Amino acid sequence: MTYFFQLVVSGVVVGSIYALSALGFVLIYKSSRVLNIAHGQIIAGGAFIVYALTVWAGVPIILSFLASMVITFFLAMSVERVFLRRLIGEPIISVIMVTIGLMSIIDGVIYFTPFGSMNYSFPEFLPSTPISMGGVSISWTQLVGVLITFILIGAFSWFFKRSTIGVSMRAVSDDQLASMSVGISVPKVFGLAWAMAGLSAAAAGGIIGNITGLNFETLRAFGITVFPVVILGGLDSIIGAVVAGIIMGLIQQFAAGYLDGNWGLNGTADVLPYIILLVILLFKPHGLFGTHEIERV
Amino acid sequence: MSTNRWFATGNFYTTYREEQRIFKTHVDRLFFILFLMGLFAWPLFIDASNRNMLVINNILIAVVAVYGLNLVTGFAGLISIGHAAFVGIGAYTLAGTARTIGDSHVLITHCWPLMILVSGVVGAAFGAFVGLPAMRLKHLYLAIATLSFQMIFTWAIQFMTFFNQGQMIAVGRVFWIHGQVGRSDHYRFWYYVILVTAVICGLAVRNLLRTRYGRCLVAVRDNDRAADAMGMHPGLTKVYAFALAGFFAGIAGALHTYMFRGAGFESFTLHHSIIYLAMAIVGGLGTLPGSLLGPVAIQTLELQMEHLSEWAGSFLPASMNLATALRPLGFGLVIVLFLMFEPRGMANWWRICRSYFKLWPFRY
Repeated sequence: MTYFFQLVVSGVVVGSIYALSALGFVLIYKSSRVLNIAHGQIIAGGAFIVYALTVWAGVPIILSFLASMVITFFLAMSVERVFLRRLIGEPIISVIMVTIGLMSIIDGVIYFTPFGSMNYSFPEFLPSTPISMGGVSISWTQLVGVLITFILIGAFSWFFKRSTIGVSMRAVSDDQLASMSVGISVPKVFGLAWAMAGLSAAAAGGIIGNITGLNFETLRAFGITVFPVVILGGLDSIIGAVVAGIIMGLIQQFAAGYLDGNWGLNGTADVLPYIILLVILLFKPHGLFGTHEIERV
Repeated sequence: MSTNRWFATGNFYTTYREEQRIFKTHVDRLFFILFLMGLFAWPLFIDASNRNMLVINNILIAVVAVYGLNLVTGFAGLISIGHAAFVGIGAYTLAGTARTIGDSHVLITHCWPLMILVSGVVGAAFGAFVGLPAMRLKHLYLAIATLSFQMIFTWAIQFMTFFNQGQMIAVGRVFWIHGQVGRSDHYRFWYYVILVTAVICGLAVRNLLRTRYGRCLVAVRDNDRAADAMGMHPGLTKVYAFALAGFFAGIAGALHTYMFRGAGFESFTLHHSIIYLAMAIVGGLGTLPGSLLGPVAIQTLELQMEHLSEWAGSFLPASMNLATALRPLGFGLVIVLFLMFEPRGMANWWRICRSYFKLWPFRY
C-alpha cells in the first residue's frame, strides 16, 4: 500500500508539471487555433535560461526564475511577431508546419550552446532530506515545484476570469470578428497568447530542471508528451489541461511501477500516453472538457 | 496533340481528354524519354564512387517516400508528422521477416521484388489504421494522430526484443539473373532497381491524379463540404490517402533496408519525419515535380552542411558539435523561409521558368 501511495505522490508531481506545460500549449491553441509543436523547445529554453542565470551569472534562484519568465515572455512574443504574424489568414496547415520548422530552428540554436550536448543539474538550495510520512516520501524540490505550479495555474485562471486582457483573449478565441468590432486588437492578442505561453513554459522548464536535472532530450520530450495531455483534457480547456495532466502523470507512474518488468514489458510509461491518445481520438476526440464544436468531416 | 505547344501562345484544349493527358505533345514525351535514358545510361559512362552512388540512391529512395507524403499532405491536405514511421514499417516488415526466417532465406534473396511489394502493402495497412480518425476528424487532430504513431513506432522498435531493440537487423545479399549481387556491384544494382521503382511510382501517382479518386482527393482538400455534397465520401477518401502514403513509404523502407543491407532504428525517428516534410514543402506541396526537386535540394543541403561543419570543425573547439547544430537549424530555416516566401515551393520556380521560355519574347 505504501508503494501505491508513493506512486500516487510521484504521479501528482509529474502530472502537475504536465499540467503547467500543457497550459502554455492550450493558451496558444485557445486564442489562435495553432498547434504549437515547438512547445517543448521553449520549455527547454526556459530551463536553460534559469540555469545560466543562477549558476553562471550568480543571480539568486528566485530572481533568475522570474527573469527567465520575463525573457521567454519577450522571446515568444518576438517569435510570434517574426514568423507567425505574416501567416495570419493563411491555411492552418502552413501555420502548423511553420511551428514544426520553428521546433527544428530552436533545436539547432540550443545545440550551439553547451546545453545541447551536456547534462547539468541545479545546485541544491532546499534541504536535501526528503519529507517522509508513513513511508511515503517527497523531496523538498518536488513539493515546492508542485506548490509553484498550482500557484501559477491559479494565477492564470484568475487572469482569464477577471482581468481585462484575459477577457479579451477569451473573446478572441470565441469569435475573432466580433471581438475586432468591439475594439480588441486580434494580432496583439495572438502575440500576448504566445508571450504568456512562453512565460508558463519557462516556469515549467525551471521546475522540471530542478526536479530532474537539465538534459535537453528529456526537456524537449515534454513538448511531445503535452499532446496526449491536451487531447485527453480537451484542446481548448485550461481545467482540462490541469486534470488531464495529473491523470497522465498518475497513469505513467502506475505503468512504470506495475507494468514494467512484468510480462516482458519495458518503458511502458513512454508509450502508454500515445496509445491513450489514439484511442481518445477515435472515440471521444473533444476530450474530457473540450468544447464539442469539433468539425466533423 | 496537333500543334507544337512550344509555338502556341497558350494552352488551347478542345476536349477534356486532351487536358487529362500525361504528355501533352510528342515533344514532351520525347524529352521525358531522353531524360529517363540519361538517368539509365550515365552510370555506364561515368564511374561514380560508392560514396556518390550512396547519396544518389538515398535521394531516389526519398523521392519514393515523398510521393506518398505529397499525396497525403499536398493533395489531400492532411499533415503527416509520422512519415518516417511508415517508412520504418516497410523497412521492419522486411527486417522482421529476415529475423524470423533467416537473413539468407530464398524468400529474401530471390523473391525480393515480392518482399518490396509486401512491405508496401503492410505499410498501407498501417497507414489506413492511423488514418482512421480521419473518418471523424479534421487535419489538426490527424497531425497529432500521426505524431503519436511516430512515437509508438519508435518505442516499439526500441523496446521490443523481436526488433533487436533498435540495433541493426541484417538482410542478406540478393540474387539477380547472373547470380548473387556482389559487393562491387551492390550500389549500382540498387541504383537501377530504385530508379525503376521511382519511375513506376511516379507514373502511378501521375495516373492516379487524373482518375476519379485523384480528383476526389483534390476536391476534398479544397472544400470537403462541397465534395460531400457532390457525393464523395471525404472520410474514406482521406483514409485511402493515408493508405496510399503508407504504401509508398513502405516500398521506400524496403528499398532502404535492401540497400543498407539491414534496418536500424535511427533512420526512422521524428527528425526524419521532419526531413520528409521539409522535402515535400521545399519541392512544392501538391505537385509532382516537387516530389523530385525536394529530396534533391534537401539532400544537397545536408551534404553541403556536412562539408561546412567539417571545414569549420578544424578551427572551432571540439566541444562544439557543429554538425548536430547546423542540421536542424538548416532544415528549420528552410521550412520556415519557404513557407513564408515561397509556399508553392521549387516546383513553382520550375513553372515560372517554363512559362518564361514558352511565352518569350512576350511577358505574358
